Amino acid sequence: MRNRAFTKHYYIMLLPGFVWLFLISIIPIFGVVIAFQDFNPGQGFFKSEWIGLENFRYMFSLNDTRTIFFNTIFIAVMKIVGNLMIPLVFAIMLNELRLMAAKRWIQTIVYLPHFLSWVILSGILLDIFSYTGPVNVLLHTFGIDPVLFFARADLFPFIVVGSDVWKEFGFNTIIYLAALTGINPSLYEAASIDGATRLRRIWHVTLPGLRATIVLLSVLSLGNVLNAGFDQIFNLYNPLLYSTGDIIDTWVYREGLLNMQYGLATAVGLLKSIVSFIMIIVSYMLASKFANYRIF
Amino acid sequence: MSKKYVFTVMAALLVLLSACSNKGSEGNVANTPPASTNGGAEIADPFGKYEETITLTYGKEVDPTDKSLPAGDTPEDNQYSRYVKENLNIDTKVSWQAATGTNYNQKVNLAVSSNDLPDALVVKDTQLRAMVKAGQLEDLTEAFEQYASPAIKNFMEKTNGVSNEAVTFDGKMYAIPSIQVQSDGVHQMWIRKDWLDKLGLEPPKTMDDLEKVAKAFVEQDPDGNGQKDTIAIAGQQNGARLYANALESTNNTFGLDPIFGAYKSHPGYWLKDDAGNPVYGSILPETKEALAKLRDLYANGLIDKEIGIRKSAYEPVVNGKAGIFFAPWWMGYGPLPDAIKNDPQANWQAYLLPLDADGQFNAHMGAPSTLFVVVRKGYEHPEAAIKMLNLLVRDESKFDISVPVGHYPLRVPMSYTDESEYSAKALQDILAGTKKPEDYTDPGYKLLAADIQNVKKVKKEPYDNMDIQYWDPQADTGVWSRMYSLLVGSSALQQDYNKVYSVLYSQTKTMESRWSNLKKLEDETFLKIIMGAAPIDDFDKFVSDWKNQGGDKITEEVKDYMK
Repeated sequence: MRNRAFTKHYYIMLLPGFVWLFLISIIPIFGVVIAFQDFNPGQGFFKSEWIGLENFRYMFSLNDTRTIFFNTIFIAVMKIVGNLMIPLVFAIMLNELRLMAAKRWIQTIVYLPHFLSWVILSGILLDIFSYTGPVNVLLHTFGIDPVLFFARADLFPFIVVGSDVWKEFGFNTIIYLAALTGINPSLYEAASIDGATRLRRIWHVTLPGLRATIVLLSVLSLGNVLNAGFDQIFNLYNPLLYSTGDIIDTWVYREGLLNMQYGLATAVGLLKSIVSFIMIIVSYMLASKFANYRIF
Repeated sequence: MSKKYVFTVMAALLVLLSACSNKGSEGNVANTPPASTNGGAEIADPFGKYEETITLTYGKEVDPTDKSLPAGDTPEDNQYSRYVKENLNIDTKVSWQAATGTNYNQKVNLAVSSNDLPDALVVKDTQLRAMVKAGQLEDLTEAFEQYASPAIKNFMEKTNGVSNEAVTFDGKMYAIPSIQVQSDGVHQMWIRKDWLDKLGLEPPKTMDDLEKVAKAFVEQDPDGNGQKDTIAIAGQQNGARLYANALESTNNTFGLDPIFGAYKSHPGYWLKDDAGNPVYGSILPETKEALAKLRDLYANGLIDKEIGIRKSAYEPVVNGKAGIFFAPWWMGYGPLPDAIKNDPQANWQAYLLPLDADGQFNAHMGAPSTLFVVVRKGYEHPEAAIKMLNLLVRDESKFDISVPVGHYPLRVPMSYTDESEYSAKALQDILAGTKKPEDYTDPGYKLLAADIQNVKKVKKEPYDNMDIQYWDPQADTGVWSRMYSLLVGSSALQQDYNKVYSVLYSQTKTMESRWSNLKKLEDETFLKIIMGAAPIDDFDKFVSDWKNQGGDKITEEVKDYMK
C-alpha cells in the first residue's frame, strides 16, 4: 500500500485474467441448476421442469457412481504421490552431478514430454503397448507371452499413473532444483568438515532444506484429488477398462454430451465440485499452518 | 481503497456481462418469425428455383480419410453445393463440420443442448426425439405435403408407414426420414476367397466349418509370408458396436452379428416370445450360448485379439492380414478399394453365412429410417431442405461419384428399400443377356439406368464369375465401388433368409433416462466375457442387473407400445 499508483498497474494487469475467469468459470456456475432439473434445452435453465433431488437419487443408486469416485481417487492419489516423490529423488540425484553440462542436458530432455499433448502421447502409448508393439516384442525375447495391455483392467491404472509420472516428472524436478539452489552452500561445507558423507549430507542438509517445498507441494495438490486427468484417460481407455479406468470426468462426458443425460451428468459433476472445493479449503488451511503459505 | 476499486470494477463487469447474456437469450427466444408465409403464396414446385438466393446453414459430417475433393473444393463448396446453388438458388453454408461418427454426434448433441442450431441438420433417432421434446424443430407437415417430390412420397409409402411414424409426433411431421435400402441392415460374411482356394477350403456353412476355416487362416499362413501373423475373424474397433441394435440397426461394419444370428440370438433387438410378449434379445439364453462360443473362438485366437481395442478396424483388412469380417453389402465403397490397391489378388466375396443349426441364415433387419433431416424452428424456408432432397433423388445418377455423394448438403439415403437387391438382379440379367436396358422403366430405381450403362466398364468376362481377377477396378474406381458392392455384396441377398425385425426401433420414456446405463452394462459385460476378462456366468448377473436397473420397466413400456 506504500505506492498506490504502482499497485494500480498491477490491478489493471489482473483485469484480463478476471474477465476470463468470469466468462469461463464464474458465469457457467449457474448451470448447476441443471442438476435439479429435467433439463430441456429448448426451455433453458429457467423453464425446465424442476425435479428436486431425483437426479441425485438415481446417481446414488447406480453402481457406476461408487466405481468412478473410487477410480478417480485411486488414480489421482497415486499420481500425486508419484509426482511428488519421483521428481524429488531425481532432483537430488541431478543436484549431485558434478558435470554441469550433463546436468543441464538431462534437465532439458526429461522435461520435454511435458509439452506433448495427451492426444499425441496416447497414440504413441497405444502403439508401444499394443499387441505387436515394442513392449510385447521385448517380453517375447524373455519368453513371456504377449500381454494385451489395453484389455487388462487390472493393469490400466498403473499404465495411466506411470505414463503421467513419466510425462511430468521432469517439469516438477525443476521446482525442486530451484529450491535446492536456495540452500546455503556453507551448510554443506560445514557438514563435510564435520566428516559427513555424501548420503549424510543429503539426509541432514538437502532434505531438511527442501521440507517446506515438499509440504507445500503436497498440500496444494490435495485440491487435485478428484482430477485424475480427463484427456489422458479419455484417449487411452475402452469399454473393457471402465471398471478400473472410468473416472468422474470421462463418465460425465459420456453421460452429458454423448447420451444427453444433462441432469444426471451435472449432478455428478456438482458432487465432484463440492468435494474438490472442500479439499481446496482444507489444503489451504494445512498449507498456511505447516508451510506458512497464505494468499489472503 | 484499491480493494474497493477492484470490487467496483468487478461488479460493473458482472452487470455488463449478465446484461449481454440476457440479451442473447432473449434474442433467441424472440427469434420466431411467422412460419413459412411464402409457402402458400408461390406455386408449390418441388424443383422450383428461388428467385432470390436464399441461405441455408447446416452442420456437416466429414470423413477425415476422404481425399476425393479436387484442389480448391471444400466440404462447403464442391460440385454438389454448386449444383444446389445453380438449380435451386440455395446457398448452402457449413456452420460447423465434424468427423464422421462419434464426433459428429457429439457436435449435434452440443448444438441441441446449447439451443444453437444451424438451419438444418441430419440427426439420429434419439437426437430427433430430444429436439422435438425441446421444441426446437419446425413443423414440416405442410411443407412436405406441398413440396416433396412424387419420388420421395413414393419411397415413403413403400415402407408401409414405418418411416412416416418415425417422424410424426402428435400428428405433426418434424423431419424428413431417410429411406434406406434394407440391405444396409443385413450383415453378411465377407471372406478372402483366394485364401480359401489356396488352402483348399470351401466357404464355411456352419459354425463348425467357420471354426475350421478360421483355424486354417490362422495356422496355415494363407498370405504366404512365412509368418503366423494373420487374423481369422476381424472385430470392431474401439467405440464401435459388437452388433447392431434396435436404435442403431444398420451399417454395423466389423461387428459379429451373423455369429449371434447362427445361434438365433439377436442381442440389442426387441423380440417376441412364444406368448407374443416383448423380450430383450440380449438377455435370452441364446445370447449366452453365442457368447460362450465367441469366448471359445477368442480364447483359441480365431477372433482378432485386439477386438474392441483397435483404433481402426479397417487396418487389418486393408493390409491383407484378415480373412473374414462381417458387414453389409457396400464394402466395395470401403475398405475394399484400399485392400485391393495393396493386394490386387485380395478376392473378397460375400455370403449369407454362417447358418444356424436348422440350416437357416438369421438376419436382424434394420429400420427403414435411421437418419433424419430436421429444420430449425423459425427458419424462413423450411421447404428448402425438402427441395434439396428432391433434387438429390432426381439427379443422383448424373453425379460424378468419384467425389462421394456424402458431400451433397444434407444428404440422407433415399431409395426403394429393395433397391440394392433389385439392382443386383437387374445387372446380372443384363450381363447374362436375358434382359435389355429398356426392360427397366421404374424411375424410382434412380441409379439403375446409369448402372446398366456403366457395368461393363469395370466387369470383365466371364460375366457370371465375380472373382476379383474378372474385374477392372482401375477403369473407374467410383463405378467399380458401386458395381462390386451390388454384384458381390447384394447378390447373396436375393436368396431366402430369415428376417428378424425388432418390435421397436426407437426409445420409450424410461429408456430416455435409463438406457445409457443399461447399454454400458451390456457392452462392458459382453466384451469382457468374449475376451475372457469375466467368466461366462457373469451373463446371469448381467441379466438380473439389467432387469433391476430399469429393464423390466422398459419391457413393460415396450409391451404397451405394441398394443
